[in-house]
Amino acid sequence: MSTALRLRQVWTIARLQLGRVFFSKRSFWVYLLALFPSVIFFGHGLESKIRLKRMSSRVTASAVIESIREGDTEEEVLQRAGSPINDSTNRRRAVRDKLGKRERAEESEEPVRRYMMYFDGQNRVDLNFEAGILQRKRTRAILNFEEDRRVFAGVFQYFYLRLAVFFGCLGIFINLFRGEMLDKTLHFWFLAPARREVLLAGKYLAGLIASVLIFGAGAALCFGIMLWPQNGAEMEAFWRTQGASHLFWYAASAALGCLGYGSVFLAAGLLLRNPIMPAVVILLWESANGILPAVLQKLSVLYYVQSLCPIPAPMDPNAPLLIRLLASPAEPASAAFAVLGLLGVAAIVLWAASRAVLRLEINYGID
Amino acid sequence: MNRPEVVFDEVSKFYGEVLGVNRVTLRIPSGITSLVGPNGSGKTTLMNLMVGLIYPDQGTITMRGMSPRDPERLMRITGYATQYDAAPRGTTGFDFVATGLLLGGYSQSEAEARATKALQRVRMMEAAHRKVASYSKGMRQRVRLAQAIAHDPEVLVLDEPLNGLDPLVRAETIALFREYAGLGRHVILSSHVLQEVDIISDQVILIANGMIIAEGEIRTVREEIHEHPSQYVIRCRDASRIASLLFEQDHITQIQIQDDRLGLLVMTRSRREFSRALTRISLAGHTVESVVAADENMGALYEYLIGGDR
Repeated sequence: MSTALRLRQVWTIARLQLGRVFFSKRSFWVYLLALFPSVIFFGHGLESKIRLKRMSSRVTASAVIESIREGDTEEEVLQRAGSPINDSTNRRRAVRDKLGKRERAEESEEPVRRYMMYFDGQNRVDLNFEAGILQRKRTRAILNFEEDRRVFAGVFQYFYLRLAVFFGCLGIFINLFRGEMLDKTLHFWFLAPARREVLLAGKYLAGLIASVLIFGAGAALCFGIMLWPQNGAEMEAFWRTQGASHLFWYAASAALGCLGYGSVFLAAGLLLRNPIMPAVVILLWESANGILPAVLQKLSVLYYVQSLCPIPAPMDPNAPLLIRLLASPAEPASAAFAVLGLLGVAAIVLWAASRAVLRLEINYGID
Repeated sequence: MNRPEVVFDEVSKFYGEVLGVNRVTLRIPSGITSLVGPNGSGKTTLMNLMVGLIYPDQGTITMRGMSPRDPERLMRITGYATQYDAAPRGTTGFDFVATGLLLGGYSQSEAEARATKALQRVRMMEAAHRKVASYSKGMRQRVRLAQAIAHDPEVLVLDEPLNGLDPLVRAETIALFREYAGLGRHVILSSHVLQEVDIISDQVILIANGMIIAEGEIRTVREEIHEHPSQYVIRCRDASRIASLLFEQDHITQIQIQDDRLGLLVMTRSRREFSRALTRISLAGHTVESVVAADENMGALYEYLIGGDR
C-alpha cells in the first residue's frame, strides 16, 4: 500500500468529516464560543464610535482643559471652557455621624454637588464640584489603544485560550469517535479498507482544519474588531511596527491551541466513555499550570500557547492570591521551543490515540 | 500458503462477563454458508469477528489467509452488510457506497461507476441521491448490500441480508449470492428464515449459546443426528400393503398412512436399511412413485438440535 494512497485516504476521510464538523448541531455553540469576544469588542468599539461622534459636536481646546485646576470655582470653569457637554447637579447631601461615617442622605434647597463633562477631541474630562469648588478632575481617553490591547490580551489568554478554544476543541474532537459510537455509525469507517491509524489521522485532520479555521479566524476577527475604532495615525504606526506580527501570533497561538487540545480530546474520546471527567481533569491541570513545577508545566498545552502571545495578560495586583496563582502565566518559553514543544505534546498524545484506536471494538449491542 | 477458507481456531469472545462465542473452531469453505441460531446465540458476534469490528479474547481467525486485524488488506476482499441501520449523518445512498470505494483506492470516476453499478444491481439507483436517513428499512438493507458488493469482494458477509426485501429483490439477491458462490467465493450469511436457508445454503452452521452445535451440508448434518428417526414420505398406489411390509423391519419405528391412502410417512432409525427394504418392495412388484426425505431441512435440524423459539 503506497504512502500516496494512504494520504489520499486521510484526505477522503477528512473531507467527509469536515461537513459533519462544520454543520452539525453540536457545532453551534463552538461558533458562539469563537465569536463571543468579537461581539464584546464590537460592542465596545461601536459604543466608543457613537460616543466620539456625539461628543465631537462640542470640542474644547486641550490647553483650556489643561488650565482647569482643582480648587477652581464653577464660574471660573464655565467662563474659561464654556458650556460643558454634560452638566448635572445633585441636591442630596450626606448627613454624617460624629465619627464622620455616612448616616443618611437629605434633600438640600441649594445644589450640593455638580458634575460637568468636557471633551478635547480624544479624552473626556469629568469635573466634580462640591459647594461650587472643583474637587476632582479626571481625564479619560474615549479610546485607549494601549488599554484595549491589554484588555484584548487578557480576554485572549484568560477566556479565549483557556475556555473558548478548550471547550470548542472538546466539542469538536471528542465527538469524532465518541459521537459516531453514540450514533452507531463508527462501523462504517472500521469496515473501510484503511488502517485505523489512517482513519485517526483523517478525523484529526478534519477536526484540526475546522477548529483552526473557526478559532484562528475568531482570534483574527476579534483582533481586527479591537483595532477598528482606534485612531487612524496610531493604527498606521502599529501596522508599520508590530501589527502583523501580533495578529500572526494571536492567530497562531489559537491554531496551535487547537492542535494541542485537539489531540488531547481526540485521545480522550477514544479512551473514555464519558467526556465530562476528562474535560474537568484536563481543565484543572491546565488551570493549575502556573503553580506546577517547571517540568510539569511543559506537559500543558496552555504553557506553550501562552508563551506565543505577544503581550502578557494583565493581572490585577489586588486579586486574591489563589486567583493570581492560577491565572498567572508560567515563565514563557521561546517561540521556537513553544511551537516544537506543542508539536511534541500533540505527537505523543496522537501516538497514544493511535494505539487506542487499534484496540477499539464496535460494541453497540450484543447479538 | 493462503487457502481460500475462513478459519476460526478455538475462538472465544466475551463481552465483560457475558459470553459471545466460546471456543469456536470452524473451517468454512467457499460457497454459501448460513449461520443459523436463535437471537443472542452469537451469529453477529461471529460475523463481527470475521471483519475485525471486534477481536477475539482467545484464538485466531483468518479470512482467506488474512487477519481481521489488517482492514487495509482484508476489506479489499471482503464486503460486510451489517445489521446496523445507521449511516454517517447526512450521507446519501450513493456517497455511502462510493466512499468505501474511494477509500479502497479507486479513482473518483471508477468509484462512481462501481457505485452506480452496485446500486443498479439492488434496484436503488432512483433513490441513490437521497439521504440514507430517509430510507425505509428495505432500502437501507439494499444500500448496505450495494456497499458490500460494490468492490466485487471474494468474501461476502451478510447479517440477515434478506430482511425487509420485497419478493422480487429477494429473488434477485439470492441469485446474486449463487452467482458469487459459483465463482468460488465465500457468501456467509445469517438468517432466521429457515426455508430460505434450505434453498440457498451449500452448508450451514448451527450456533446456540455461543457454541457451534453442528456444521456442514444439511444432509450430512442430518445424518449425524441419531437420536431422532429419519422421516420419509412415500407416494405409492398400495399404501396399506407397503406399510405392512415395512413394519416387518426392525428399524422402522412408526408409519402413518396419509388421508388419501396414496402416501405414507415412515420413520426409520436406519437410512441404509430403509433404502434396502424399499428396493426389495419395489422389486417385489409394488409401485413406489416417489420417496422424499421429510426432515432433511433446516426446520427439522433446528428443531432437533436447538429446539425452542427461533
